[in-house]
Amino acid sequence: MKLVTMAAVMSFVTKIEGDSEKFYQELAGKYPETEETFLSFAKQNKRNEKFIKQTYFGVITDTIEACYSFEGLDTGDYEFDADSDLGSTLTDIAKKALEIEDKIQAFYIRAAELSNSMMADVPRVLRKTAQKREDRKLKLKSILDKA
Amino acid sequence: MEVKTLQNYINGEWVDSKSSDLEEVRNPARDELLCHVPLSTREEVDLAVKSAKDAFHDWRNTPPVTRARYLHRLIELMEENFDELSIIQSTEHGKTIDESRGETRRGIEMVEVATGIPSLMQGFNLEDIASGIDEYGIYQPLGVFCTLAPFNFPFMVPLWFFPFAIAAGNTFIVKSSPRTPMSQVKLFELLDDIALPPGVVNLVNGATDAANQLMEHPDIEGVTFVGSTPVGRIVYRKCGETGKRVIAQCGAKNFIVIMPDANLDSSMVSLMSSFFGNAGQRCLSGTNALVVGDDVFYKEFVDKFVDAASKIRVGDGLDESVQMGPLQNLASKERVAGVIEQGVKEGAKLLLDGRKLNLVGDVPEGCFLNPTVFGNVTPDMSLAREEIFGPVASILRASDLDEALKIMDANPYGNAGSIFTTSGKSARQFQHEADVGNVGVNIGIVAPMAFFPFSGRKDSFFGVTHGQGRDVIRFFTEIKVVIQRWF
Repeated sequence: MKLVTMAAVMSFVTKIEGDSEKFYQELAGKYPETEETFLSFAKQNKRNEKFIKQTYFGVITDTIEACYSFEGLDTGDYEFDADSDLGSTLTDIAKKALEIEDKIQAFYIRAAELSNSMMADVPRVLRKTAQKREDRKLKLKSILDKA
Repeated sequence: MEVKTLQNYINGEWVDSKSSDLEEVRNPARDELLCHVPLSTREEVDLAVKSAKDAFHDWRNTPPVTRARYLHRLIELMEENFDELSIIQSTEHGKTIDESRGETRRGIEMVEVATGIPSLMQGFNLEDIASGIDEYGIYQPLGVFCTLAPFNFPFMVPLWFFPFAIAAGNTFIVKSSPRTPMSQVKLFELLDDIALPPGVVNLVNGATDAANQLMEHPDIEGVTFVGSTPVGRIVYRKCGETGKRVIAQCGAKNFIVIMPDANLDSSMVSLMSSFFGNAGQRCLSGTNALVVGDDVFYKEFVDKFVDAASKIRVGDGLDESVQMGPLQNLASKERVAGVIEQGVKEGAKLLLDGRKLNLVGDVPEGCFLNPTVFGNVTPDMSLAREEIFGPVASILRASDLDEALKIMDANPYGNAGSIFTTSGKSARQFQHEADVGNVGVNIGIVAPMAFFPFSGRKDSFFGVTHGQGRDVIRFFTEIKVVIQRWF
């Protein structure tokens, strides 16, 4: 699906952060050795969504270009399978999580680029959320190394 | 299913109108009947004014900081109901959900600024104007004010006025637009929840008769109006005749000057929003793109503008993939279609014909038009001179900025104007010389924030002080000068 408005982008943010949160919550139950990390990821997912929406809805009067900014943003490029496949090993799971994080990060980076003509708050919060993914990826790589 | 008839809110209570004169409120995107709105009787309007007048004495004696606390509670409720408020606006007006959210947010910002009333209405003083004698000025509320609301920003525009009015100690009557009255009803449900003293705010549904009655009523101190210039002239005259204060924010024909050094790629999103946002139904819309430069630049601009306009997705504003909603009613659509026809007859070049519909989703064609773009428009054409209030863009040319400013100056309206440029010198000249109230530099919609006045000049504004910010505090108060000596 093509995303052409900020309203649609916000709905997609809800979806990816929600799917990702559910994914990590399930993993936390399955892998006690990484429970703390995965639960912290899930908590951060919730915060990310809240923070992005809070920022956008706080400045929406000044981002009325919102209806026109996102040509070329296609959910097909960023969707992921959030099934935690509980039968897999921790190595498989960590690899899958890395793939998911790559997709989400790529989405935020592209959305930030396309929203550059809006008030700076919007692209800034999208870029920040992408940066947070980098920290998360480091932690996942560390899990992978230990597994 | 039973169709609801809206109620009035008078003296702190929801009351049915006794009027048998009802109008339909329809969702323009779906052509569905939403509710009926009564055109209130003379007695009901009188009752609202009496209720506001009766409430004034106690309310003006309520400390400003206490008055502000009511508004803090209103902000909380508006935030809690943010989505519902926005959906109602899209449903009754047709605008996209993001546009409605922007309108809701701007409405909340007005209330936020009005909570600063303990600072905003402070006076001033000078000790020892003569030995042992002091002089000071204090700002006091005046009584009952009203607003005559427009259809295009039905939720936000009354909020340009009444939070400031009641914060300053006045009481207030909102006469909503009969075309889009539902979002005010929802807002008044929230006002009912904060339990203001009865009569401080009142909502009267109605049309021209109710407006005339309010303008002529001896107990109304002042009127605020947002709407067309012909009606604004009537409001200004009538209020003058009855000695009332008035803010009349009226029609517009906003020019967007595109300099040859403008960054077109970065600007196009802003331009689309300016020309086609709210389906062109706003007094800050760009309507005349005035391109400065040679043939090559003109062609580059036209190609990019038409390409971007042709890609705008038109449909039901509640569909998140939609970028532009319908006109608010069928009569508006037919009027705008007539303007397009007239433009063709006058010799403008129709580059994109919005009458050829291309709609997203399964919606009736009823109130919809796609974006229309005319090229080779000259300043004397009606397309360039008259307010269209629809998704129609006219592209004109000027040889340089001086000529562009002359073309703008010859237009009777002076609401807003913008320049798109990378030159500080051009921007400075434009800001200094453009005879408009609101100036944008690389900004398509020059909507002043709540803490600045919403300015306007020429035929776009009648009055002295404007809505919003410190201007509107002055409008809703009168200064009293005290000279004091103690023996």
